[in-house]
Amino acid sequence: MLASVLLKTTRDRWRGWTIAMVTLAAMGLLVMATYQNIDLEIFASMPEAYLSLLGLQGDMDVGALSIAVVMGSYGAMVIAAMAFTMGAASIAGEERAGTLGLLLGNPKSRRHVLISKALSLVLFTTVSVAALAGATLLSAALLGVSTGDMRVGALGVHLFANSLFYGFLALFVGAWTGNRGAALGVSIGVMVVSFFAVGLLPLVEGGEGWVRIFPWHYFDGSAPLYNGIAWGDIGVLLGASALLAGGAVIGLERRDLKGQSTGVTILDRIRRNPTADKLIGRLAGAARVSSIWLKTASEYQTMLLVAAAYVFLIQGFVLGPFYSLMPEETLAMGDQLPAEMLALFGGGDLSTAEGYYQIETFGMMAPIVVMVVTIAIGAGAVAGEESRRTMGLLLANPVSRSRVLAEKTITMVLFGALVGLATFGGVALGSVAGGLGMDIADIAATCALLILVGLLFGALALAIGAGTGRTRVAMWVAIGAAVFMHVLNALGEVNENLAGFQQLSPFHYYLGNDPLNNGMDWSSAALLAAVTAILIGVSFPLFRRRDIRQRD
Amino acid sequence: MSGIAIQTRGLTKHYGSVEALVDLDLDIHAGEVFGFLGPNGAGKTTTIRTLMDEIRATRGTASILGKDTHKDSVAIRRDLGYLPGDLAMYPNLTGKDTITYFANLRSGVDWEFVDALAERLTADLSRKVGDLSSGNRQKVGLIQAFMNKPEVIIMDEPSAGLDPLVQRELQKMMREVAGEGRTVFLSSHTLSEVQRVADRVGIIRHGKLIALETVQALRAKAMRQVELELDTPADASVFEAVDGVRDVRAQNNHVLMTFGGDMGALLKAAEGRYSIVDLSTHAADLEEIFLTYYEDEEVAG
Repeated sequence: MLASVLLKTTRDRWRGWTIAMVTLAAMGLLVMATYQNIDLEIFASMPEAYLSLLGLQGDMDVGALSIAVVMGSYGAMVIAAMAFTMGAASIAGEERAGTLGLLLGNPKSRRHVLISKALSLVLFTTVSVAALAGATLLSAALLGVSTGDMRVGALGVHLFANSLFYGFLALFVGAWTGNRGAALGVSIGVMVVSFFAVGLLPLVEGGEGWVRIFPWHYFDGSAPLYNGIAWGDIGVLLGASALLAGGAVIGLERRDLKGQSTGVTILDRIRRNPTADKLIGRLAGAARVSSIWLKTASEYQTMLLVAAAYVFLIQGFVLGPFYSLMPEETLAMGDQLPAEMLALFGGGDLSTAEGYYQIETFGMMAPIVVMVVTIAIGAGAVAGEESRRTMGLLLANPVSRSRVLAEKTITMVLFGALVGLATFGGVALGSVAGGLGMDIADIAATCALLILVGLLFGALALAIGAGTGRTRVAMWVAIGAAVFMHVLNALGEVNENLAGFQQLSPFHYYLGNDPLNNGMDWSSAALLAAVTAILIGVSFPLFRRRDIRQRD
Repeated sequence: MSGIAIQTRGLTKHYGSVEALVDLDLDIHAGEVFGFLGPNGAGKTTTIRTLMDEIRATRGTASILGKDTHKDSVAIRRDLGYLPGDLAMYPNLTGKDTITYFANLRSGVDWEFVDALAERLTADLSRKVGDLSSGNRQKVGLIQAFMNKPEVIIMDEPSAGLDPLVQRELQKMMREVAGEGRTVFLSSHTLSEVQRVADRVGIIRHGKLIALETVQALRAKAMRQVELELDTPADASVFEAVDGVRDVRAQNNHVLMTFGGDMGALLKAAEGRYSIVDLSTHAADLEEIFLTYYEDEEVAG
C-alpha cells in the first residue's frame, strides 16, 4: 500500500517538485553570488523589524545570510507549502476527485490508507529538505563561500519538522472535513499569520512571550543555524504533528465520505434566497454562457473581483493616507534601508511617495496579483478544458480551435487589464486622499507596464498550455519563469556582474526606467507587448497542430 | 440511402509505435444507423476522435457529408451532433446552462425540442451537472447531441450508464433519426444494443476492421449451432474437415458444432460415415458471431 501510494504521489508531483527545487537552488546560487559582491555592513544598519522578519542577525557573513534567506525563509515556505498541498490532496483531494471510494474499494482500511499517505508525506518532506540542504551546500562549495560553523543540518532538521507540521495540519483538516479548499486555506492562514507574528511580535513590548503560540517560532526561534538543533522545539513540532495525525485518523473514521460532487458551498446556501441569488448571479456571473469568452470570464470572475478589490483597496487606496500619516522617524529609518535589500521588493526610495508605492505595491505585490489572474486564465485556457475532458464536447460545436483560443485570450487580456486598472484607480485615489501629489499620468504609465508584464507571463502559460495541454506544466513553468526573472532582475540591481543579465528579465522593462517618476517608457512597453504578442501568436499553431488530450 | 454520410480511406493513427487504427476503409450511408463494435481499446474511440478532428490521422483521409474532416471540420460540425465517450461536462453549470452554452455556439436551438428530448429521456436539466449521477449526466450529453437535428450524429458508447428503459428510448430516437434520412454512427461493445438498433455493423479489433456486414447478413450467413445425433459414436475430425465448421464437441453419438457454411456439404460429410438419427439447428446470436470473428482474427493474426 505504502509503495503504491508513494509511486502515485511521485508520479503526480515530480514535475512541480522538480521545478520548485530547481528554482530554489537557482535562487540560492544567485543570492550567494550577489551577496559575495556587496558590502554586508549595510545589514548591520538595517531596521530590526526587517532583520527579524527575515530571520537575520545584524552581523552575518555571506554564507549565513544566503542560507538564512534561501533555506530559512523562501525554502521553508516553499517546502511547507509543498507539504500542505500534499496533505490537503491526501484525503480531501482524492474525495473531490472521486477516487477515494475507489482506493477504499481495496481491502484496506481508512486508517491504513491515511497512514500510507502520511508516511508518503514524511518521505517526500525528508527528500525535499535533503535536496534543498544539498543544493545550498553545493552552491556554497561552487562559489567558495564559507559555511564555517553554520549548522545547515540543524536548520534542515528544523525545516523538516516545521514542514511536517503544516503537512499534517492540512491532512487533519482534510480528513475531518473532506474539503480540500478548507485544508489549504487553514494551512496557508496559519503559516502566513505565524510567520509575520514571529517576525514582528518581538518588536512590540510584551510581545516576546506571545510568539510561543505560533508554530513558526519553533522553526527558527532558536536560530538553529547557529545554535544547532533545539530538541525541545523539534519535540513541540513533531508532537503537534503526531497529534494532528492521530486526530486525522479519528476524523476520517467517523464521518461519511463525500462523493465526487461540486459540494454545497456557503455561496450555494445564500443563493437559496431568490433575491440574493439574483444579486450574486450578477456579481459572480454564474451562468454566463452566451459565448466562450464570457463563460471563461464567469469562471474567473470571483478571482478577478478579489484580486481587483485587493489591489484597489489594500495595495492602492489605503496606502496613500497611511503614508501621509507615517511619522518622520519611520521614514528616516527607511532611508537607512539598503537599496540592495529593497531590490527584491522592486526597489524604491521610501522618502518619496513614488518610492513608497514602488516598494509596497508595484515592486512585488501588484505583479503577483496580476500574474495570479493572467497565469490562471492562460494556463487554464486550453489545457484546463483538456484536463477536465470538456474540450472534445466544446469542439463538437462549429467553432474552430483558433476561435476557442482567441476568445479565451480575450478574457485573459481583459482581466489582466482590469486588475491593472484597479491598481491605477487605487493608487491614484490613494495619492489624492493622502495629498501625495503623485503624477496621475505616471501612475497610469506604470500600471500600463504592469499590465503588459503580467500579460507576458500569462501568455507564456497560454502558449505552454496550448502546446502541451497540461495545466500544471503551463502554470508551474510560468510561475517558475516569473520568480526566476524577478530574482534575476532584483539581483542585477545590486550586483554589477549580473547587471548585464537584467536585460533578459521582463521585469527590467517594467520598472527599470522608474516609470512612477519618469513616466511612460514606450520602447519598454513595445518590447513587452511584442514578446506577449509573439507568445500568443505561437499558441495558435501549437494548438491547431496537435492532438487533443483525452486524459490527464 | 442516398449518398455517403461518412467515408474513410486508409485511415491510420499511430501513437508512437502503437498502431491504434490501421487502414480503415468505411462507407456509412446516409439514413442508416451504423454500429461500430469492438472490445475496449480496439480503436473505436480513436476512429471517432479522428472523425471529430480531435486527433489527426497519421495517414489516410476521412470525410463527413463530403467534406474533409480536418480541413472543413468547422463546417462539418454545423451539421453534426457528437457525444464523446466517458463524458465530462462543466460541473458547475446546470444541464440547462450547458445546453444554452452549446446552443449559443451554434446560433440557437429549438427549446421545445430540447424539452421534448428531456422528457423522453427523463432528464433533469435544472441541476448542476456535477451533482448528477453518470447516467443522468449522459442524458444531458445525449440531448446536446440530438438537439440540433443534425444530419449526422456520432456517439461513443451512448448507452453507458443508462437504465434499460432509457436505453430503449434512445434506440427509438436513433431509429427515428434514420427514418428521417439522417445518419447515426455509434460505437458500442454491447451487441444486443447494436443488434436492436443498427442497420449495419463494423467490427474492429486491434485497430483493424475485421468485418463489415448488415445485421441481417451477419445473422443469415450466420453461424448456427448444429447438433447431430448419429447411429454410432461420432468422430470429431470428420466434421472438422468440413468448411465453415468450428468448435466441434463430440460426445458418444452426439456431435455439437458451430457452423457457418453450406448445410449440404456438412450433411454429405456426415452421411459418408454415419446415418443421421436427428438434426437440430438454431441461429447463433451476435455474441457468438462476435467471438467467432475474434477467433478468426486470432488464428489469422
